This record gives sequence, C-alpha cells and structure tokens, in this order.
Amino acid sequence: MGLAKPADGKRVVLRRSTRRAILVWAFLAPSLLIFLLYRILPLLWNVVLSFEAWSPLKPAVFIGLDNYQEMLFDDDVFWQALWNTFGIIASAPIGIAIALGLALLVHSNIRGREVYRTIIFVSYPLMTVAVAIIWRWMFDERVGLINYAARSLHLVDKPIPFLNSFTWALPSVIAANIWQMLGFYMVIILSGLQTIPGNLYEAAGIDGANAFHRFIRITVPLLKPSLFLCFVIGMLNSVTSFDLIYVMTSGGPGRATEILITYIYKLGFNETRFDYAAAVTVTFFILLLGITYLANRLSGGNAGAVERE
Amino acid sequence: MMRQRRTWPIHLTLIAVSAVMLLPFYWVFKTSISGENIFSYPPNIIPRDPNPFYYVDVWYAIPFARYFLNSVIVSAITITANVVLNAMAGYALTQNFRGKGFVLLLFLSCMMIPFQATIIPAYLITGKLGLLDSYLGLSLPLFSTIICIFVYKAAFDAVPRSLIDAARVDGLSQWTIIWRVMLPLARSATATNVILSFIWSWNNFMWPLIVTRTPEMQTLPLGLARFLSYQEDSTGALYAFCIMVLAPGLLLFLMAQKEFVQGLSAGATKG
Amino acid sequence: MRALFLLRNRFVWVPLVLFIVIAGWNAWVATHDHGIISGRVVDADGKPVAGATVHLWVFNFTTFVEKDSTTTAADGSFRFTGNPSHNIQLSADKADAGRSDRIPVRLYFASEDFVLAKPLRLERG
Repeated sequence: MGLAKPADGKRVVLRRSTRRAILVWAFLAPSLLIFLLYRILPLLWNVVLSFEAWSPLKPAVFIGLDNYQEMLFDDDVFWQALWNTFGIIASAPIGIAIALGLALLVHSNIRGREVYRTIIFVSYPLMTVAVAIIWRWMFDERVGLINYAARSLHLVDKPIPFLNSFTWALPSVIAANIWQMLGFYMVIILSGLQTIPGNLYEAAGIDGANAFHRFIRITVPLLKPSLFLCFVIGMLNSVTSFDLIYVMTSGGPGRATEILITYIYKLGFNETRFDYAAAVTVTFFILLLGITYLANRLSGGNAGAVERE
Repeated sequence: MMRQRRTWPIHLTLIAVSAVMLLPFYWVFKTSISGENIFSYPPNIIPRDPNPFYYVDVWYAIPFARYFLNSVIVSAITITANVVLNAMAGYALTQNFRGKGFVLLLFLSCMMIPFQATIIPAYLITGKLGLLDSYLGLSLPLFSTIICIFVYKAAFDAVPRSLIDAARVDGLSQWTIIWRVMLPLARSATATNVILSFIWSWNNFMWPLIVTRTPEMQTLPLGLARFLSYQEDSTGALYAFCIMVLAPGLLLFLMAQKEFVQGLSAGATKG
Repeated sequence: MRALFLLRNRFVWVPLVLFIVIAGWNAWVATHDHGIISGRVVDADGKPVAGATVHLWVFNFTTFVEKDSTTTAADGSFRFTGNPSHNIQLSADKADAGRSDRIPVRLYFASEDFVLAKPLRLERG
C-alpha cells in the first residue's frame, strides 16, 4: 500500500509511513515531555546554575567557577560528605557478597526455598522511612536491641551510642541499608543463577573440579551481569538514600553521616543556596557517572545489564 | 552417582538469616502492642499485657486517614499515568521510524540521571507550573520511567510478528491491534508496571517533602517522619504508627509476590 | 457465573473482605459511640456508696484534665454521658468515706459506651 491518490485533490490521504510516524511521535510525546521537564531540563538548569550566583529574588549573575572553587577549597562539609558517600559506595560489595552467599543457599534444592526467599525479600518493598525508624530504635543507646544483645553476650560493658558516635554512626546507617537491600540483591542474583545451565557444573565435576573451583570458574563469571546490576543499583540506592539518613540521623552527629544528597537538600531547602547546591549536584552527578563507568570497565565491558533491557 | 546432600546446615543458616530479617519487625510490633522496652530494661521477649490502645492513640493523635488518602490518590494517579504513558512509549519504540536511534539514546541517557540530581530545578519547575502542594505536582515526576518503558517494549517485541500480520490482513486498524491484540498479551508487563510505580510512589519521601507546603497534603511517609520529630519515641504510639504505615505495603507485597519478583528481575532500578 | 469466578482472584476477595470488615467496624462504632460511661462505687467493705462524687478525667495532649463529675445514686451506680475521648480516667471520693485511685480507662474508639467492670473502691487515708 503505497501512496493513496487523492480522489478529487481536496482531501489528502496520508501515506501509511507518515501516519505511522505521527502515531509514534504522538505516543512518545507525553513520556518525552516528562523526561524533558523532570530529568533533562533540571540537569541542564543545574549545570547552568552552578556557574551563576542567584538568589531567587534577584537576577542571576554569571560568576564562572566561583561556586566550584568554594566547594573544593572552602567547604569542609563537602569533603566530609564526599568521603561519607565513598564509604557508602564501598560498602555495597559487602551486602552483595552476603546476598551472593544467601542466593547460593536458597538456590540449592531445599524445601521451602520460596518461603526463605520471601522472608529475606520482604524488607525491600517497605517504606524506607519506616525501616529507618525501626533501625534508629534498634541502635538506640538505652533501649535498643543491639545494645541489649551486645551487653547480654558480654561483648561490651557500657552501651554504645551508635547513632550519636562519630565512629559508629555511618556503619549503623550502612547496616540498616544492607538489611533492606539484601533481599533485592538476592533476587537479582537468583535470577542470574537460574540462567546457568546445570550441565556445566556436571561437566566440571567430571573433569575433577571441586566445589570451590566450580564456584570461581563457572558461577562468578556467568554471574557478572547480575553482580554488575546489583552493584550499580546498590550504589545508586545507597548514595541516594536520603530517606534513611534524614530519619535515622539527619546527617549527624555533626556531619558524620552527611552524604552528598542530604547536603544538597540542606543547601537548597534549609539555606536556600540554589546556586551552590547546583554546583554540588553537578559534582554528584559526575561522580555517579564515573563510578558507573568504572564498574562497567571492571566487570569486563558491556555490562549485560543494558542488554537485558 | 547419587550425592547425599546434608541439607540441615543450609536450613540452619537460612533460618538464622530469616530470624535476623524478621526480628526488627517482631520487635516493633511487640512494642506497639505493649509499650514496653521504651524505658524498661532488660526488654522482654514476649510482651506482657498486650493491648491495642496505642493504635487507638495514633488514630486520634494524627490524621492517619488523611495521610493515607493522600498517598492513595497520588499513587492512583501515578499508576494510571504510568501504565498509559509507558505503554504508549513502549509501543512506539517497537515501530521503526526515523530518529528511533536518537530517541533510544535519549532514554538510555535519562536513565543515568537519578532523581536526586534534579530536585532543586524540579522544585522550581513545579513551582512555575503552579503545581506545588497539589496531587498532580506530587505525582508528575513519576509519570513515566525508562525501566517501565523498556518493560513494555520487551513485552510488545515478544508478540509474534505473524499474529500482528494476520490481524492486519484481517483488516484491523492500528488502534484495534494495540487494544485487542498487543495489550492483552502484555498483561505481565502491565502488572510489573503497576507494582513498580505503586512502590515508587507509595514509598516516595523526598519529593513529597520538597513539594508539599501544607500539612493536609502530606503523604504517609511524611506523616510518619513528622510524627517522629513531633513526639519523641517515649510511647508505643510511634511504633504503632510504624506498623500501621507498613501494613498496606506488606499486604500488597504478600498478595502480589510473584509479580513483584518478576518485575524486579526485569531489571528494575529506583527511578 | 463470571462474578463467582472473579471472587477466586485474590485481588478481588482481599479488598472485598477488607471492605466488609471496615464497613462492619464503622457500623459498630456508629451505634456504640454515645459516650456513656457507667459503673459503681463501693467502699472498702464492698458495700455500695451513695452520694459519692465521681470525676471523669480526659486526656488532653499531655495531662489529664477533669471534664465532668457526677454523684452516685442510691445503689452506688453512676453514669456519664457525652464522653468525647478514648483515653480517660475515673476517680471517686466521698467526704467521710475516703477516695479511690484514679482508674485509667482505655477505649477502642472515642466516646465508646463503656461499663466499668470492677467498681471504684473507696479507701480511707
């Protein structure tokens, strides 16, 4: 069906390919609009704003790299937040390793694996605010379960003020985050495990490889896409875990649990320094891109995660 | 060769892990029905004198129904918009058209922009649109997400070409094909989308925190966080509130487990 | 027939059950929320006390505030109406017979009609 000839020259019947193009763009338009409005435009706005000085009532003034200069050289909070963010990123592999172990256990043919999977996974879809309140209380100095257990087992003499100590605050937050994400990592790894054909293990067993070798040589390489996905998502999740930190410690004590995202929020909505917050945001974004790229390279290029989509 | 597997160590480990995962819930639930452990030491395992009155206290102390309603409305708007917009975009991506590569690249790069990198300008844009403190403003950023688009695209791609061709030969219009052939076959994609968008919008804390200006428009997570600062955790009420807030999410998860896990295995990220 | 089949879908019967429970609860509350608090006052020997003053205290943000008081009838019974709260206390006293402890009463919903199970006991001293 090609070009439909207009019968009397007044009405033009569109070609099917044109009709299809209109349909496609009409279908894409709303989503594109949302992304434009809430992803692309804000990012670009942030970039532009980071080079300006702007208070909401006065027009913006271009000031070049002044914001970045302040951020890098005059702002201790930024460096503390950056350091904490790195700490959180570095802790993601811990959770993934635990989840890997759990996934291997659940994957083995035992009865009730569905039940175990559900129980371990149940923490993920819950409201992070509620999880934060629960863990804030668990870590409480006077009435928290962790302190009670530690004292009952005679691990410590005095209760540890987890959320109020400079050394324990960030690990506590990380522990709560890992608790919530464990099920998620496990499910991803499980679905990766299910794609590994069983006869590979049998063949290796016949060739004389023991369980450890089988694990290192077969399981881990074939799990690379799942592990990469876990790492990227885990990193994104923990680095953006505003909910958890805001409710558990609010960035405290001092700035011990301040991460870039809570700092950006405070700059923007407590101090109304939109321009400076924009500079920190751009840095944050570049950091995320960098880490994702690094992770991609480390897992051997083409992550597989993108292919799956 | 039959290998005799000893499964009890595996069960033991898994039971221990399950206990660790469930213990916080049990502890919070226990406190919410007995109010102990707030100041008592050592804490008890089984609650003495359980009572539901903290839940009654919470009901009358905070506008739980209002927060719940707000959350429900925002989630409903988000889910509906999500299904509609993402199905449309997903379908569009199955067609071949000029600029398809560009659009795909655009979408993939949007995936790399986390929500948190956009909060301040998004707030300013929402303000300019006059949507601050409104249901639409609360739900708008989540109207469409890349993950969900690709979930639909994958589902539509999976419809056999022969089926579409047969339908076209039968003279069905493009629209009818979408409605009657492709959508019903993409039912699992719709389920995934509904679940993912529900979870993201129901648990969303940061965006409502930024966008709501009045207490009446606050959603459940905001109400919970506000309660924490407004009344310190010296009563069982905070934990009763916690349980009340967790209950709907938990119920939905238990009902829709399978779809949930499936949706996540389709490669989900948080926005 | 199709309706019956729909019922087997858990996404249908769970909300349905929830709806029925909530509707039933609301109906119960609506028929039992006159705020009637009643009970009896006895003295240390267990005999009913007439003419004792019974106080109704209502929780108000941080403390209990006396909202109402009434006197017991000849058989020692008393009755309040219009209690607005879910968290109240009751106490009784009589000039020469002593006073009772403040008994906390927690209701399942505001203004629940409630009958005190154990009578308020007046103790001297």
